[in-house]
Amino acid sequence: MRGFTDTAIACATMVALGCGAWLLRSGTEHDAPPQPSAAQAHTRSGPEVPAGVPALPPSPPERVRIPSIRVNAPFTVLGLTPTGGLGVPPATKENLVGWYEAGATPGETGTAIVAGHVDTADGPAVFYRLGALTKGARVEVERRDGTVAVFSVDAVEVYDAHAFPDEKVYGAADRPELRLITCGGGYSKRTGYRGNVVVFAHLTGVRERPSGAAR
Amino acid sequence: MRHTPRPVASRLSAGAALAVVTAGLTVGLTVGPAYGAETAEREDTRAGRLEVYPTNVVPGAEVTVGTVACGADGTAEGDASSVGADAFALAPGTPPGNTTGRFRVPPSAQPGTYEIVARCSRDGAEVAGDVVVRLTGAGEPTHPRGSVKTGVGGALGPDPVKTAAGVAALAVAAAGGTWLLHRRVRGEAI
Repeated sequence: MRGFTDTAIACATMVALGCGAWLLRSGTEHDAPPQPSAAQAHTRSGPEVPAGVPALPPSPPERVRIPSIRVNAPFTVLGLTPTGGLGVPPATKENLVGWYEAGATPGETGTAIVAGHVDTADGPAVFYRLGALTKGARVEVERRDGTVAVFSVDAVEVYDAHAFPDEKVYGAADRPELRLITCGGGYSKRTGYRGNVVVFAHLTGVRERPSGAAR
Repeated sequence: MRHTPRPVASRLSAGAALAVVTAGLTVGLTVGPAYGAETAEREDTRAGRLEVYPTNVVPGAEVTVGTVACGADGTAEGDASSVGADAFALAPGTPPGNTTGRFRVPPSAQPGTYEIVARCSRDGAEVAGDVVVRLTGAGEPTHPRGSVKTGVGGALGPDPVKTAAGVAALAVAAAGGTWLLHRRVRGEAI
């Protein structure tokens, strides 16, 4: 009986030691969100990107899916802040993206602007892995009219907040384009994230949303 | 969003078709129909349009319109009732050949695209252009400016809950280890 108790205590001790070490390590590590490499930036002669397809009529987005970084999130709408900046989704919702309502809808001609948090106060959020996207990756946007607009990533860039290229990111486009924006570019306790990760994509496919699809 | 009292396309396309046919007959003989159609369309877009400046406005803004459709020293009546503005007059303006006028978008105007029409006094010809009313930012199409605050650093730095749990687990391990060591020191086999 005593031997059994001793063995149990020895086992519990080992388990507690292992758990404690793991918890301490993962609880204190400083894991920054992934950032795009230079290879993902805009290039004049990059790999062949799929050709665009004709634009869709306007229809608001309802859900975004990015299979390669396991994003699957509903939309809210965004406006402008009093200083003219892009609004953001509520800071407490980690799995929610925002669409700039005054701009183009995803799939119609123009620049559709989508923003999501990289993290909330509690940890990683919907666009935590946005910087890990690579050229050619697929981004799907389900729209209210029952279509799914499929975009291909053209570039993933990171910009400093002090040198943010407004026109390039938000400016008009003559084909259906999409921007996915989140925070990035390094972090300091005093100033927060130094800039933004921006994904540039254009429409390369359209399909019907299967009726009764799991949401 | 688009408030158009009359369809623009049909009126313009009738004019365009006529111009294309005319140009096709005259120019087409020498240069070919494609070139003729192109030229006619280009001329038609200038002659058949009411230029609106600025195109994107906020409620309460003053808008200038102009056209070359009414000829030299032409005058015209302006109709901006679609956006809720009073009728206004267009008079010969600059550069020569232009007929220009101004109106004010009512402060109560709702966002949207509105058709503004001018009717030439000379021959009753109508030209139209669109003004886009937005609630924020005049001038260029409204788009956001600057970077976006989409993170607070919550994914970085220590997680207090995990850290506390880790410390507690290590304390348990220490207690267990101590107990076992004591047994050993006292010479009792494990």
